Amino acid sequence: DALLGCHRSYRSRPTHGIGKFKYLLPKEVPKRRKEKVQMKEISEGTEYQYGDINIQMTSYDVCLVEHFAQYVHRLCNRLSIRVNESYAMPTKTNEVLFLEERGSKMQLDAVLTTHQRVIQIRGLSSTFAPILLEIIQSNQPEGVHLLMKQHTEADFKSRLKSRPELEELLAEMS
Amino acid sequence: SAAAERPWRLFGAMCLLRLPRITQPLEKEEEEVAALMEQIELEKSHYSDHEIRKLEEEEQLRRKKESLYDEDEARGQTVIMAQDLEEKWEQKFLRFKAAPRITDADKSNDRTSLNRKLDSNLMLLVKQKIGNQELWLLPQAEWQPGETLRSTAERAMATFLGDHIQAKVLGNAPYGIYKYKFPRAIRTENNVGAKVFFFKAYLQNSDLSQAELKADYLWVTKKELGDYLKSEYLKKVNRFLLD
Repeated sequence: DALLGCHRSYRSRPTHGIGKFKYLLPKEVPKRRKEKVQMKEISEGTEYQYGDINIQMTSYDVCLVEHFAQYVHRLCNRLSIRVNESYAMPTKTNEVLFLEERGSKMQLDAVLTTHQRVIQIRGLSSTFAPILLEIIQSNQPEGVHLLMKQHTEADFKSRLKSRPELEELLAEMS
Repeated sequence: SAAAERPWRLFGAMCLLRLPRITQPLEKEEEEVAALMEQIELEKSHYSDHEIRKLEEEEQLRRKKESLYDEDEARGQTVIMAQDLEEKWEQKFLRFKAAPRITDADKSNDRTSLNRKLDSNLMLLVKQKIGNQELWLLPQAEWQPGETLRSTAERAMATFLGDHIQAKVLGNAPYGIYKYKFPRAIRTENNVGAKVFFFKAYLQNSDLSQAELKADYLWVTKKELGDYLKSEYLKKVNRFLLD
């Protein structure tokens, strides 16, 4: 608090700028907004390592999916498998309408939300992969679908939003 | 020359697993915790739309009974009341019958059927003749030079179950190994003993409509393995089995 005190010396005084310290710190390069897409992919090396693998968990129940994703993440940490990212895909809402013909025509609505969590893993050796798969499968809760697949550019692009105006302008230009 | 000097015979064995279909029942502590958490969440949660609507309609009904308020009726009440909806849902729920969890207890411990313990892994055991004895083993076949051990295991599975099983072999690496030496009578220079490599596979399709070639087969859980396998063999097999 003493550093941020209100006694800022005036510019004509010799003690002007006495509390400055930012010039002492190393220079930080300003972070760029755009993210690079491709990271290296090892399909089959000499020791048979998998490249980036996505474990996708989908379910109707948020709590189950989140807790399961947490569990898988912690499991990978303990087994010292490198986890690149763990993110959530946007939820999809489905409206279910029942059309009953008996008596009066009634429509009962049900609203279902589908949630998806993705954990990206790298550096999985092929001797260990089936064991990991077995552990995850045997600990799967009810109602959660599990999918393991290799990471592709299409998967990465599905997270980004498309910009229609930009595409229109590009189309006009070319 | 390397092949001639190697005195061990190699076998590939397949451990075919049928995955559990139902979750295992919760332990006592787990159930208590679950009930407690549910109660906490219920008390902490807010009312949902349906519940608010139900409360409002109850209020309106009560007011109508006490004093005649016809303005509420003129406000365009919906045809369906929230209470009716609830009753309809209750009826639907009562009509729904879940499948029984313990199908096999009825079948009086029939260990050859796949519909047994639905909440644990089931493994295939076959009776095979080795040397002079008939033993219960995981299905195995002898390795022929020029084929991978994994295909040996798949061949073993195919001889016992027929060609059209959909089983997914997990990986090319074996899960365990059991080696034993032949008794002195049979031992020759070239045949000291045998090594059995175990592979694991998951059964995708749970209906085995093809008739099995050998009649002596069993589907057992990990705990019941001890009844059938020999102790040394059992020790090595138990090492790679998850429960």
